[in-house]
Amino acid sequence: MIVADQLNKHFKIYETKKGFIGSFTSLLSTKHHVVKAVNDISFNIGEGEFVGYIGPNGAGKSTTIKMLSGILHPTGGSIEVAGLSPQKRRKEVAKKIGIVFGQRTQLWWDLPLRDSFDILKEMYKVPDAKYHAFLKLYDDMLQIGQFMNTPVRKLSLGQRMRGDLAAAMIHDPDVLFLDEPTIGLDVNAKTSIRSFLKELNGKEKKTILLTTHDMDDIEQLCSRVIVINHGQIVLDGSITDLRHNIGLPSVIEVQYREKPQHLPAEFDGIEKMRWEDDKLILMYDRSVLSSPSLLQVVSKWGEPVDIQMKEPDIEEVIQKIY
Amino acid sequence: MNLYLKLLSGSLRSRMQYKMNFLVSSLSYGLIMAVDFVLLAAILQRFNDVKGWNLYEVGLLYGISSVAITLYRVFGVEIHNFERYMVEGEFDSLLIRPVSPLSLLLTKNLDLSRIGGTAQGVIILVISIIGLSLDSFDMFLLLLYLPISIASGVVICFSLGLLTATFAFWTQRIKDFQTFTLYAPFNAANYPMNIYPGWLKIIFFTVIPVGFMNYTPILFLLDKGGSIWNLAWPPAVALGFLFLSLRFWHFGIRHYHSTGS
Repeated sequence: MIVADQLNKHFKIYETKKGFIGSFTSLLSTKHHVVKAVNDISFNIGEGEFVGYIGPNGAGKSTTIKMLSGILHPTGGSIEVAGLSPQKRRKEVAKKIGIVFGQRTQLWWDLPLRDSFDILKEMYKVPDAKYHAFLKLYDDMLQIGQFMNTPVRKLSLGQRMRGDLAAAMIHDPDVLFLDEPTIGLDVNAKTSIRSFLKELNGKEKKTILLTTHDMDDIEQLCSRVIVINHGQIVLDGSITDLRHNIGLPSVIEVQYREKPQHLPAEFDGIEKMRWEDDKLILMYDRSVLSSPSLLQVVSKWGEPVDIQMKEPDIEEVIQKIY
Repeated sequence: MNLYLKLLSGSLRSRMQYKMNFLVSSLSYGLIMAVDFVLLAAILQRFNDVKGWNLYEVGLLYGISSVAITLYRVFGVEIHNFERYMVEGEFDSLLIRPVSPLSLLLTKNLDLSRIGGTAQGVIILVISIIGLSLDSFDMFLLLLYLPISIASGVVICFSLGLLTATFAFWTQRIKDFQTFTLYAPFNAANYPMNIYPGWLKIIFFTVIPVGFMNYTPILFLLDKGGSIWNLAWPPAVALGFLFLSLRFWHFGIRHYHSTGS
């Protein structure tokens, strides 16, 4: 469904000077350095896969997505999305993909949400019957009905993101590119968006490529993870592979009123246990042992006065791969 | 077509959301235009004759040129303010749609506050045509040709605007260029080309071909020289120039860099 073959994107960064003369000379000057934003990336994503595309800031995630969607032209290599080259046949590809940029809305800022949908309906030539079915379905899934008549600029971030997601699906694309769709959202909004994405992938068999900084997104949604850093793929595999490679643990810190005398040497799901002063630090695998049941376990060992949960973030994870 | 209307009505309604701002800006442009008009009249009153061109004849040139550039400013507002799409990386959102980015830009916004300038140009044209008191055949020919002249002017202006905008793919900023590629040439085209030195004339008939939209045809229509071919040049140059600018535009899109997020 999505094929990238030895994809490269190099940016020449010219030194720009101020003013008319300056911008004119910098137009002609050849002083520059080359940044390899994407450096020889190849992957093949099959139909119905849900792939997490992760990496630290500036790793080349957005650049890749922009090339896959036809916004940028690669310096080298080739791309196929739904069998077509996004560079040579951008408009056809645009009809087959849906894109959400978490940082920037694709909706008409000053118009009610409904107007954005109406315009997009016209743009993608969606038949009336399909359009009404779409509105109904997405009201069920994302509850967009309640703010359909509100101007987009007055929506909350969570509402806006739901609107953006629905807008990306209006022409029923087979492929979805999601660039940080959960950025800045609160827990509730994140949960509702995740369950929506899960349904899209599970029921409607959409192929989804997702970039995120949230490990929970990856764990709950993605069947496959591609990790990139400095424009190159450092890992391409399942969540289990990722876990295996870096031992993706959740961390909990427990402080007891009195230090428990004896702890079990091993416990199913707990990967590591150590004391740091009077704090017990546990690393555990959430897929084996859920957080609530871990809490029960640690409170059996003694009387906790403080418990802190810690999530490893992507940056930490990437560093571990190296 | 349906899409075009939808997009336009959307952009108009977006604008109307800020009613006060819309009214104030229309009013202020109207005022600026009125002052401009008074200044021009004063200048033309002083110089009755500019190198063989009388007040009404210059008025004809002035009217065509100013109607052309203001119509471009009304419809091409997003092309004119294109650097914003580069600086803020907004161009991305145009490229993800199954429609050409140029048609999205043209439908995104109308700058109705510039229509005052168009009205002013039309008024000058009407006054000039009456003042010229031509015989009925010449008058008929002039009236027939005027829309072609104006259309050619709009197309030349649009092409210049698009060429300038395309530079933004490399330079990001284009506001400084516009003075040289749009404002100055169109101001110059308000007056007959024969008042300018040779090198400037060459520029206005080649790289910035504003001379073709009004000077060339009016020369023939007012019996000041040239042949019937003078009437063929404006649309031919306009279309050729449009073709070139579109080619350059598509070349530029391939070099679009986007911005980091």
